Amino acid sequence: MADAPIYEARGISKSYGSVVALEDVDLSVHAGEVVGLVGDNGAGKSTLVKVLSGAHQPDAGSLHLDGQERSWRSPHEALEAGIETLYQDSGLCPDLTISGNVFLGREKLRGGLLGKLGLLDHRGMARIAHEELDRAGIGLTEVRRTVKDLSGGQRQAVAIGRAVAWARKVIILDEPTNHLGARQSGEVLRVMDKARERGLGVVFISHTLPHVLQVTDRIVVLRLGRVVADEPTSSFSPDTLLKVITGLGRSTADVIPEDAPA
Amino acid sequence: MSHGPSATTAAAPAGSPRARVTAVLLRQDVILLAVFIAMVAFFTAMNPVFFSRFAFANILQDWAPIILLAIGETYVIITAGIDLSVGATLGLSGVSAALTIRSLHESGTGGSTALLIGIAVALLVGLAVGAVNGVLITRVGLAPFIATLATMGAGAGLTLVVTGGVQIAGGPPEVIQLGNTQYLGLLTLPLIVVLVVLVVAWLVLHQTRFGRWTYAIGSNAFAARGSGIGVDRHLIKIYMLSGLLAGLAGVFVYLRLGSGSPTSGQGQELTAIAAAVIGGSSLFGGSGRMSGTVLGALITTAVLSGLILIGVAPNWQQVVIGVLIAVAVAVQQISARRAQKGAGRG
Repeated sequence: MADAPIYEARGISKSYGSVVALEDVDLSVHAGEVVGLVGDNGAGKSTLVKVLSGAHQPDAGSLHLDGQERSWRSPHEALEAGIETLYQDSGLCPDLTISGNVFLGREKLRGGLLGKLGLLDHRGMARIAHEELDRAGIGLTEVRRTVKDLSGGQRQAVAIGRAVAWARKVIILDEPTNHLGARQSGEVLRVMDKARERGLGVVFISHTLPHVLQVTDRIVVLRLGRVVADEPTSSFSPDTLLKVITGLGRSTADVIPEDAPA
Repeated sequence: MSHGPSATTAAAPAGSPRARVTAVLLRQDVILLAVFIAMVAFFTAMNPVFFSRFAFANILQDWAPIILLAIGETYVIITAGIDLSVGATLGLSGVSAALTIRSLHESGTGGSTALLIGIAVALLVGLAVGAVNGVLITRVGLAPFIATLATMGAGAGLTLVVTGGVQIAGGPPEVIQLGNTQYLGLLTLPLIVVLVVLVVAWLVLHQTRFGRWTYAIGSNAFAARGSGIGVDRHLIKIYMLSGLLAGLAGVFVYLRLGSGSPTSGQGQELTAIAAAVIGGSSLFGGSGRMSGTVLGALITTAVLSGLILIGVAPNWQQVVIGVLIAVAVAVQQISARRAQKGAGRG
C-alpha cells in the first residue's frame, strides 16, 4: 500500500458536551484494503463511523477523499461521493422486495415517456439487483422475494450486498457480523474479500476479534477516544490485540513497538 | 461468483417467488370479491330491490366519497399512520364550498364561475388541514393518532361555527345538475372523476418512487431515512394528499345533496379506515394495496346500504363499521402470525 489512501481522516476530534469522544484521531484506508477498527465499548468507534459517514461533523480535523479535502453536511453527501455505510441496526424495509431494498432511495425509472411520467422500471431494477448481488458475492439472487420472508443472516447479506453494490470508493461496515451464526459470518467476510478485490476501501468495525484478524489487512485500535495502535494485521496475535484494546495486563509498549505510528 | 452453494440460498423455497406472490395477492382480492358477492346475494335475498340498477347507482354514489377518503387513508396507513380528521375535513370543505358558492351566487356571479371558485376553496381547505396534520406529526412530533384527533375535533367544531349548525342551501342550479346528471345510466360526473383519481392513485402507489417511499417509510422509517429519503417531507405530502382527497369528497357530497351539511362527514373517517383495513392495509404500516381498498370500500358501502334496505335503523351503522374494523384487523393479525411462523429461518 505505497500509494495514497483513498479515504483519510486526519486529526479528528469530537466532543459531546463535556464528553470527549474522539481526540486527534487519524484513520486511513487504501483502495483494495480492508482496515479493521476495533476498541472496547465507549472507545469512540461509533463516533468515528458517524464522522466518516457524514452523520456527524467533527469539531476539529479534516477528511480527505482521493487526496481532496472534503466535508459532509449529511450522510447523503457522503453517499453521493461514493462512501457507503452499513450501520449496526439500520436494517432494511421488511415489506419491500430484495430488489426494492437494493434500489431504495435510488429507484430506476423506465425509459421514454413512461419514465418521464415517473413510472418505475421494476424489471430493470430486479435484473440489476440480481447482477449486483451476484457480483458482490451474495448467494441470494431471488430478488423478488420480500425481505420479511428472509432469515436474519439473509437480511444482513442483502444489506451488505446493497452497500457493496452502490459503493464506488469506500464501504464502512459497522458490526456486520453481529448476531450472525458462523456460517453467515463466513459469508459476510467473503463479501468483504470481494469488495477488496473490486478495489474498494473497506472499514470493518467489529467486536469479534477472530473475524477482524481473519479478514483485515491492517488494524486500528481505539481506546478512550485515541488511536493506540495502527499496525498491519500480521503484527497482532489474538492475545496481543486483546491486550492493546483493553490496555490491561502489560503496558502497551510491550505489545506494540515503540516507534509505531499513533 | 466463484464460491459454492451458500447458506442463504439453501433456505429459498421451491417455485417461482413471483408466482407465489401473485398467488397470494390474487387470493386476497378473490376473498374480498367473494365476500362482496355473498353480501349482495344476502341483501338481495332479504330485499330484491337491492339488486337493481337504482340501488347500484345509489351504492356507487355513496361509494364515491368513501373511496376518496379511503385512498388517502390507504397511503397514510401504509406509512404506519392514521388520519382521523378526514371525516371532519369532508364536512368543513363541503360547507366551505357551499358558503362560498352561495355568497358568490347572491352577489351575482355566474353559476359556473361560482362553482369553480367554491370547489377550489374546498380543495384548499382540505390541503390546509392535511398540511397542519403533516406539520404536527413531523415537526412537532405528535403521534398521527393524536395530531389528527386534534384536527378532527377542531375541523368539526369550525364547521359548526361557520354554519351555525344549519344546512347551507341556496346555490345556483348548476350544483345539483353537476352532481346528479347520470351518464350511461350509472355514472355521474363526480363518479367519473373518482375513477380517474383512483387510477392515478393506484399508479402512483404501485408504480412510482412516491409510492415506493410510502411503503418504505411505513416498513422501516429509519432505513428509509438512511437511504436518503426525505421522510418528513414525504409524510407531510401524504397527509396533504389525504386532506385534498377529503376536500374533494366534501365537494362531491355537496354536489350530490345540493347543499352543505355540517354533519355530512361525521363518522366517515371510520368508514374509510374500515375500507382500507378490510382491503388489507396493515395498521402497523408497510402493507396495503389499492385494489384491496377499492373492494373494501365497496363492501362497507354495500353493507351500509343493505342494512338500510332491510330495515335496520341507521343508528346501527357506526356499530357495524366498528365491528368490521375489529374483524378485519383480527383476521390480519392471525394470518400475519401464521406467516411469521412460516418465515424462513436460514
